[in-house]
Amino acid sequence: MYGVQLDHLARVLGVSQARARAIAAGWRDRRLAESARLGPGGPWIWLTRTGLASCGLAYSAAPPALGRLAHIRAVTAVRLALESAAGYATAGAYWRGERRLRTRAGGRVGLREHFPDGEVHWPSGAAVAWAGECWAIEAELTRKTVSRTTAIMRELLTRTGDYGCPAAEARIPGRPARHARVLYLCAPAALSTVARARDALGGAAARIEIRSLPPDAGSERAATERAAP
Amino acid sequence: MISRWVGLLAVRAAARLAVRLIKIAAAAALIVAAAPVSVCAAIGVWTAWLAGWPPARLYRAALWCAPMVAVWLAAIAITRGWASVIQAPYQAWRAMWRDGAAGAYLAAAAVIAPAAIPAGLAAGGLAWSYRIRSMQAGSGGLSPAAAVAFDLRQWRHQARIARARIAAPGSVPLNSRNGDLIAGAVIRAVGHPARQIAAIPYQRMRSHQVVIGTSGTGKTTLLLRLWAGFVASALHRHYAGTGGLPLLVVLDCKGGGDARRIADRARRVLRAAGAAATAIWPDEASLSLWTLPPGQLTTTLVDLIEHGTGGAAYYADIMEAVVGLAVDAPPGPPQDTADFLVRLDPGWLSMAYAASEHDDAHALIRAAGRQIGDIALRFRTLFRRLGSGLDGPGGFGDADVWYCILEGTGQASVAESQARALVDLLASYATAAPSGAGPGGGRREILLAVDEFSAVSRRLPIWQLYERARSLGLAVQVSAQSWPGLAADEDERYRIAAAADGGIWLLRTPHPEPVAALAGSRKVMDTTRRLLGAPLWSHQGSSRMRLAPVVDPALIRALDVGQAAYIYRGGATYVQVKRLVAAPAAVGTPTAAVAMAREAAVPGTAAAADVTSATGPAAGVGAMADGRAAGNGAAAPSGAPAASGAPAASGAPAASGTAAASSAAAGSGAAVELGASRPALPAARTPPGLAALLDEAFGKEPS
Repeated sequence: MYGVQLDHLARVLGVSQARARAIAAGWRDRRLAESARLGPGGPWIWLTRTGLASCGLAYSAAPPALGRLAHIRAVTAVRLALESAAGYATAGAYWRGERRLRTRAGGRVGLREHFPDGEVHWPSGAAVAWAGECWAIEAELTRKTVSRTTAIMRELLTRTGDYGCPAAEARIPGRPARHARVLYLCAPAALSTVARARDALGGAAARIEIRSLPPDAGSERAATERAAP
Repeated sequence: MISRWVGLLAVRAAARLAVRLIKIAAAAALIVAAAPVSVCAAIGVWTAWLAGWPPARLYRAALWCAPMVAVWLAAIAITRGWASVIQAPYQAWRAMWRDGAAGAYLAAAAVIAPAAIPAGLAAGGLAWSYRIRSMQAGSGGLSPAAAVAFDLRQWRHQARIARARIAAPGSVPLNSRNGDLIAGAVIRAVGHPARQIAAIPYQRMRSHQVVIGTSGTGKTTLLLRLWAGFVASALHRHYAGTGGLPLLVVLDCKGGGDARRIADRARRVLRAAGAAATAIWPDEASLSLWTLPPGQLTTTLVDLIEHGTGGAAYYADIMEAVVGLAVDAPPGPPQDTADFLVRLDPGWLSMAYAASEHDDAHALIRAAGRQIGDIALRFRTLFRRLGSGLDGPGGFGDADVWYCILEGTGQASVAESQARALVDLLASYATAAPSGAGPGGGRREILLAVDEFSAVSRRLPIWQLYERARSLGLAVQVSAQSWPGLAADEDERYRIAAAADGGIWLLRTPHPEPVAALAGSRKVMDTTRRLLGAPLWSHQGSSRMRLAPVVDPALIRALDVGQAAYIYRGGATYVQVKRLVAAPAAVGTPTAAVAMAREAAVPGTAAAADVTSATGPAAGVGAMADGRAAGNGAAAPSGAPAASGAPAASGAPAASGTAAASSAAAGSGAAVELGASRPALPAARTPPGLAALLDEAFGKEPS
């Protein structure tokens, strides 16, 4: 992930927000992370170059882009919701974020290939019916055109190669698809478009799952208001 | 009379000797009396000599002691009253001698330190300044040659300290806090402020620069550092909302395997600096010539073809007319090479301009009818030689860095055409402000770096490139191995060097005089000394001002690898360039890679045999290579089906070698992830339990 907001960080660490704030301050003091109030809600925390290096990550360090804050928050909420499900941990599934996928693509120019917001890998030996599958995760906050959404769905469903593979190996007819299914988590505004796009897919539509975004995917304040009775 | 005169001379000599002895005794007494200050001054001078520091460094160190002095004086004022503050140094001096006489040396040192250290450093600065000035003026030392030896020794000391500084981890970051690029550690500054770190303001990277250095002198290291600094600074500015995203376009006009190695290194270095996407043209990425506006496309296409002068201009005009007809045809501009070549046909053109309002076009088609076939032949030949690199898809907006390799050494005429097309494409991209909400309205901050452009500049003079770049707001960085390699003729070379308002980087080169002369000269004092008799020189003579070059060509010729002179505004800073270490290529941990390859291979295949014999760190690399082999083997008709990623007969999913191969090729530096290569199984129906999992995580599917 590119950055995380304080309330989500507190959930990840399993501590209160005050404690999470203190922990983040410690990271800042050690120059492992930076934090700032970039948008509505609590402060954002992101890793510095030193922090990334200490985690063994080769990403380029940068604050989360302002225009993508809502999207990054939504994807984090999706990840947290999925990871909190009992079946996820039991199966030993793991998440590959968009940032990791883009890094795997490295400096190569994908020539406008679409990257999912994340991938979930289910290990082969897991005791679930979908063991060995790889899912693409898409968080949709805004409404795209149906044709564009259909094109993205089709691209995700037909891809055979890993991200970063030579362009010639991205789609090889006859090979099994990389993503067994695509999970769309939609804001109310985008729901109808995604549903119509899925309907336009025909037979492949069975591999598209649509759900609503978790309550805390919106701004922190909105999430608090929704959670209140 | 004679004896009286001799006696007078003897008395005079004795008096002189006595005065000299008194002076020496007084100086020695002063040094002993002020022993702590003398010791500090001596240590300061010795350190400055050893490290090649300028005197200002000692003065600054003395100033940094001011807080200590203030605290000391404040403590005295509080404990003994304000009146004691004035006497504090004297009292400390007395206490020091008293404690010293009593054998309490540590207490003596502690008592005098607050006063002695700053005073000693300041005195040392003065003494060191006197020494340097006397050497520079030629009046110091036992012989006139002492100044030369002193300068060489100081250079060695300064270079050693600069090398130590760049070797210290974290001492030379890529960018400073305010966004300046840091090239390395300063060895020596002439006419520039003497700093420890060579920081170049970002705006100089937005101006033209020239880099000259023979191969093996660290030119590529310097260029990579400047490029990485530019990208990192521009991204920093962009995130701060004060600039557009960076775009670095490198034209490597030598080509060959060396260019590809540098391209790979550049990609890894620049990724660490923040460049998410580096396109290597034409090996891995392509650009589309056909995205040029129709008018520009016609001009570029005509310029790609070489035509002579004189009578040949007639055919050039015909060609331009025919190409114009093909490009401006009513169906719209051509989309690719094939589309364009189809249009170079009288029949196609007549059909396209069939409407009655195109009488002029018809007249042109009739007039040029005989030559259209020849023109088509020439373009067919040209595009075959150019390859598919300019036939799209892709544009400069697709990547943060474009490393374009032109085979200027092997195929000069092709490289010339490619250079022409690339520059036109970049000019078009820079002119058309892309829509975007970012700072600058989506316009990107472009740096065009050209290496050995003279190899391809026959049809696009480099000064023309400069002029165009200036008008478009592009910064151009020209690098060459030597002064003659900068451009075709002397006028052009001087024109380029004079336009380098972002500075000139000069590395070791056998003929630095023209560039060194551009740095100008400075006034220095020149002193003659009277020869008393070999090998003794007196300290009497005469001095005069003379002009000396700011950049000493002899020093440039003797520069070591990684040392460069940065010439800017009549001054020069000698820099020890800090090498940027690129992230390693994507090779996973041995265990992960071996495990993956084991999964990928089935018994009996070549991959399996290689994997089982692979152990140790090298096995990781071998296993990755095996993964690639397995993937490739799968594509071949004889490949084992299980290695291709198709489900094995037992139903267990078999891994394709594709992901392993791709991660090795990606150069991402990310660890290999198990499971990333697992193929997804066809999932026509929702398996049992999946809906429950999703419902638990996200709730029911919305209606």
